[in-house]
Amino acid sequence: MRPYNNRAWLLLLPALMLLVAVGALPLMAVINYGFHDIFSLSNVHWIGLDWFSDILQSQRFLASLGRSLLFSALALAIQVPLGIAVALLLLSCGRWAVWGLMLCALPLVVPWNMIPMLWLGLINQDTGILGHWLAAVEFDYKFTALHTWMLLLVMDTWHWLGLVVVLAYAGLSTIPTAYRQAAHIDGASRLAVFRHIELPRIAGGLAIVFLLRFVDSFMIYTEAFAINAGGPGDATRFLSIELGEEINGFSYGQAAARATLYFVMVLIVVCAFVMITRRPEAEA
Amino acid sequence: MIRALALVALAAFILLPLTQAVMLSFIATLPHDGVPEGSVSLVNYANVLAAPELRAAIGNSVIYVLLNVALCIAIALPAAYALARYRFLGDRHFLLMILVFRVTPPVVLSLPIFILFAKLGLVNSPVGIALVHCLFNLPVAIWILESFIRAVPSEFDETAFLDGHSGASFFFRHLIPAIAPGIGVAAFFCFIFSWVEVVFARILTVTEGKPITTAINAMFGFQTDMGMVMAMTCLSLLPGVAMIWFVRNHIARGFALRA
Repeated sequence: MRPYNNRAWLLLLPALMLLVAVGALPLMAVINYGFHDIFSLSNVHWIGLDWFSDILQSQRFLASLGRSLLFSALALAIQVPLGIAVALLLLSCGRWAVWGLMLCALPLVVPWNMIPMLWLGLINQDTGILGHWLAAVEFDYKFTALHTWMLLLVMDTWHWLGLVVVLAYAGLSTIPTAYRQAAHIDGASRLAVFRHIELPRIAGGLAIVFLLRFVDSFMIYTEAFAINAGGPGDATRFLSIELGEEINGFSYGQAAARATLYFVMVLIVVCAFVMITRRPEAEA
Repeated sequence: MIRALALVALAAFILLPLTQAVMLSFIATLPHDGVPEGSVSLVNYANVLAAPELRAAIGNSVIYVLLNVALCIAIALPAAYALARYRFLGDRHFLLMILVFRVTPPVVLSLPIFILFAKLGLVNSPVGIALVHCLFNLPVAIWILESFIRAVPSEFDETAFLDGHSGASFFFRHLIPAIAPGIGVAAFFCFIFSWVEVVFARILTVTEGKPITTAINAMFGFQTDMGMVMAMTCLSLLPGVAMIWFVRNHIARGFALRA
């Protein structure tokens, strides 16, 4: 058991000070702006909860919220099982696995604004490697909502699969071979091995994957904006794209209120996540 | 057999967009002096390295990323040690706080951070970007280092102190060598998350100090030289690829989350 010592705070002090300066103070400023009508930084009026009630009552906000939730759900449903499958595949490759891991990590180091550029180049109907075939099946990401969604999901999966693979592999590689041998002798099915031996080992890593992937896809901005700027129509207008429009339109009070709402949503998700993951720890 | 096919499919999926970029970067997409359009050449790379604003952008990115990594490791090490070795009032609240900051979307905080940094004179400076990237990198560094320090038994610390090492000498001579792979992995994640970040890096550079990501966006114009854009993109991948190579044997340690 670790000793109880409040002087440990001294070691946390630099981290705490930095996070307060670049995180907590700006956050308080955002919340404060949300209650004001801001014409310029010197011309600010208190308007209470007007922005919040405006936003929460607007149909567009609810529609964007629905789209963002759907996008996150689809991204998680594709990336988590696929990532686990790839990690299991790599695990069976012995010492070649490290090459597979490096390959999967490659998209993680591509600057975010270049990812849509790479994909748009790839599917360009005149110059792209895939352009020819996609033109044959009448793939049109500009004007067909379904195709825009498919492109965004494929691109997001390409980008983030590596994170799921690395963290799942990290858990799987700690399983002693004796466990698998024992399961094999007992005649356990592949599914049973996954459920009772592999899943418990990767649960910790998967928890953080779920949280990071949920929040990042829920607030996807750079990539989604570059592909189609929310179009066709409003089909890929996600929450963050709405916020970006308001900031670019200098509607700072409303943007701040919206940012506050998003922060509250993220906070609720984090709290729910912590409550769910803490319970098994308490039993152990 | 199925396994081989799956591996090939995976490699194809990951490498396809990059292949296209690498191929284009070696092709002259616009006519240049003595190099006809469509021919294979290194003219794009030569042009990138000859352009002062692109060279400066690469330099700017390298500076703020290295600054950020150094800052994160230096601040996260003592914090991770405290969390790994002691219980104290509010330790769980601290872990919850870093988790919340890690997942707060940059767009939410971009406006007040710009105003605050403008007042402090940190706009257009690599220091500003390095500081603000700590918001999401410091939590990751603390999680990774904490899980590595926990793996070192606490008797290790006690022996060192019994041998008469002071706090500082224990830290530098014993703890840091013992968790060197952890520092490597933490540095890797800080490096890549800072290198690829766009929103903060863009809003905090108004007139100068532009990072590599903004420089690439600025290359699109009336007549975009796609080959040159792709050459710049490929160059921007090199540091990340090098980082992957350095931590390849430790990358799969991952990070354990405590909140």
